[in-house]
Amino acid sequence: MKKKIKILIKMPMMIVFIIILLFFTPFAIYSPGENRNRGVVTALGIDKIDNQYEISLLTFIPTANQSYREKSSVISGKGDSVAEAVYNAQIAMGRSVGLSHAKTTVVNENLLEEDVASTIDYLSRIASLPENTVFVCTNKTAKEMLENSQDLVNNLGLKLEQIIAYNANNLYVTDTSLEAFYKGYFSPIKSSLIGYLTIEDVDNNSSNSDISSIQNSGGDQKQANNGSSGDNSSSSNSGTKKRIVNQGQAVLLKEGKKVALLDIDQLNGINILNPKSINQIIKIENVEKDGQNLSLEYKIKTKKTLISTKFENGYPIFIAQLILGLELVEINGEEEALKVNTEFSEINEEIAGKIEEQIKKQFTQSINILRECDADVLGIGREFFFNNRKEFIEFINMLGGKENVDKFLDHVTFKLNMVIQPD
Amino acid sequence: MKRINARQCGVLIVMCIFANKILLLPSLMFEKTSADSIFVLITLFLLDLAILPIFIKLKELYPDKKFYDILKEKLGIIITKIIYFALLFFFFFKCLLVFSITYVYFKQQIYQDEFIFMALIAFLPVINHAVLSGVRAFSRTIEMFFGIVIAGFIVCLVISLFTPISSPYFFVTSGKDFFLSLYDHIFAFGDFIILFLIMDKIELKKEQTKQLFLYSIFGIVLVVILFYLFYAKYQITAFMHNNALADLLVFSVQFNAIGRLDIIAMLTIMFITLFQMEIFNYAFCDCFVNIFPLLNKNYSIVVFDIVFCISYYVFIGKYETMVTSTLFWLPYLAIIINYVLPIIVLVIIGIVRRKIEKKDKNIN
Repeated sequence: MKKKIKILIKMPMMIVFIIILLFFTPFAIYSPGENRNRGVVTALGIDKIDNQYEISLLTFIPTANQSYREKSSVISGKGDSVAEAVYNAQIAMGRSVGLSHAKTTVVNENLLEEDVASTIDYLSRIASLPENTVFVCTNKTAKEMLENSQDLVNNLGLKLEQIIAYNANNLYVTDTSLEAFYKGYFSPIKSSLIGYLTIEDVDNNSSNSDISSIQNSGGDQKQANNGSSGDNSSSSNSGTKKRIVNQGQAVLLKEGKKVALLDIDQLNGINILNPKSINQIIKIENVEKDGQNLSLEYKIKTKKTLISTKFENGYPIFIAQLILGLELVEINGEEEALKVNTEFSEINEEIAGKIEEQIKKQFTQSINILRECDADVLGIGREFFFNNRKEFIEFINMLGGKENVDKFLDHVTFKLNMVIQPD
Repeated sequence: MKRINARQCGVLIVMCIFANKILLLPSLMFEKTSADSIFVLITLFLLDLAILPIFIKLKELYPDKKFYDILKEKLGIIITKIIYFALLFFFFFKCLLVFSITYVYFKQQIYQDEFIFMALIAFLPVINHAVLSGVRAFSRTIEMFFGIVIAGFIVCLVISLFTPISSPYFFVTSGKDFFLSLYDHIFAFGDFIILFLIMDKIELKKEQTKQLFLYSIFGIVLVVILFYLFYAKYQITAFMHNNALADLLVFSVQFNAIGRLDIIAMLTIMFITLFQMEIFNYAFCDCFVNIFPLLNKNYSIVVFDIVFCISYYVFIGKYETMVTSTLFWLPYLAIIINYVLPIIVLVIIGIVRRKIEKKDKNIN
């Protein structure tokens, strides 16, 4: 034994190891669990009401249970600044805020009236809000959105970030993470696109894609408003049924401010050039077949895009060749039998012409919105920069320099050539 | 004397090439030169790589002599001590910078709060022990873990390919900014200088010099790929991401919910940092022992630890101060070490070779 101890003593690394063990073991045994000191925030909401910020935190506190259900609650704090609101929310929670797991960040539409980047600056730079958090805007308060989202999870197992991720993959031209927002915000065009979800009262039956409806009484939701103003009232305990509605909308931002709310058709128009965006429905009316007037609905099943750019007489020309594989999904005619008739799968010249016209119309409308807002979220200018850099720079100089780079889209002529075939 | 072979020497070079470049530097460089930072990086690497033939020539002339003795013989003791003082500061600050950057990375990723005490306890004893064990011992350790470290590094790079990347904007920087960036980030380079300090401990045959070049180019290529992928992934927001290698993994949108992938980057960075600190700590101690020949290695380690802790707390401990220092006054030191010193060595080689040639002529 003595020999062994002597050998051990001769090994300085072993002594260091033992010292480290002796030092850290009591710490490890006696220090409290991390969840006692830190609240795990899974979603974050930011509102601005009467010049006061309200930060709502959807927190998950790990506790032992047999149902395998996460117990989450919305806790909020108010303050004159975001930092103060977070601090107050922290006090209300009785734990420090850990934003590393925040998958969703919801902002109230009113916040987009001013540069939203300045609002979230503290959160992303100091408070470690991850850049891959999904960035969403809502028409009501962000707090209400978070409260409703809990029932979405409980009833459907659906999370806000999953809804927006679906939209991002199928509707938007980019993903709508905070990172994507910053990428657009710091680009020369200073424009980005973020997801938009609405909250509606259940009485309002106008929506076509509601995904949750609950009795929002605030009963099982902890609502701690520890604001600097001392206001402890809940902002959303109205007792009315509310639901989150996803209509596939997105907010177009310029320099962090909302410039347009794009609906699903406008987004589809923007996405015409996006090869990843498929499954869109194209409806054409007044198709003549056997003396009948029909309306046909086609679904885009496959899409290939070939893009080229050039300058002609000093002006930019954007040429896109679209190869679309379409599937006839519905026929509406006077006779019921036509609904199951598949003989229309063949796309004749008339139908192809109408589809082309429809797509071009949708694309033009969307481009016009982007032009009005000086928000080239499609990256048209970027294409020219890569393909025709010299002419592009000359053209930008002609427009008055880098400051006017966002006016470039106004001068681009688009040529869309389409090959439409049945899939 | 136990020496290291060419492979172990190559492994040391790769670790030095990674030093201070794989976490903060890509975003730091991006602020001034955007994606053109890759060209700044390549230029600085080429300048660095030019030092390697100088070292090989010197090694050929003096296969067993210590660098200190060569300088003392040719330049006199005072100039040699001044040079060694400069080298001592150079390696000390390199070590401190490596530690600061990694510390901030781990603070952001895991701890959220300050854990400096724990970090110092975890790092210092290990690197001190490595220095006491000698170059051969820690080179063999690095050689043993080299495959794992490189595999981790490559996995981080490969995973970024699963996320949307597009070519970054190149050629957007003015010549002035390009040269300013060269100057600003010079301190992160000078990776081959360590070879001079351990030249008497390297067993290098003439046919093995090619191996050194291969290892150097391998390390350089990996760093250049890292820069490219980082800029391709983040583009305009690259300046916001301070931990390049880890951010390639962490902010992959597809892996949004898979935080456990971070562990690959964490382990890789932890090992690389540890090895780099061992190398720089050794360099510091070697300089110290040569400057103060009456004090042995144990003293130098104690001095290193004390100065390291004090510097961290009192002055350099502020991460921003440390990073700002690398851009303002440390480039002066880096220019002297990275370029003036090799030029001095080149002149010495020239003089010695001329003398040898003269001798040969006289004999003939």
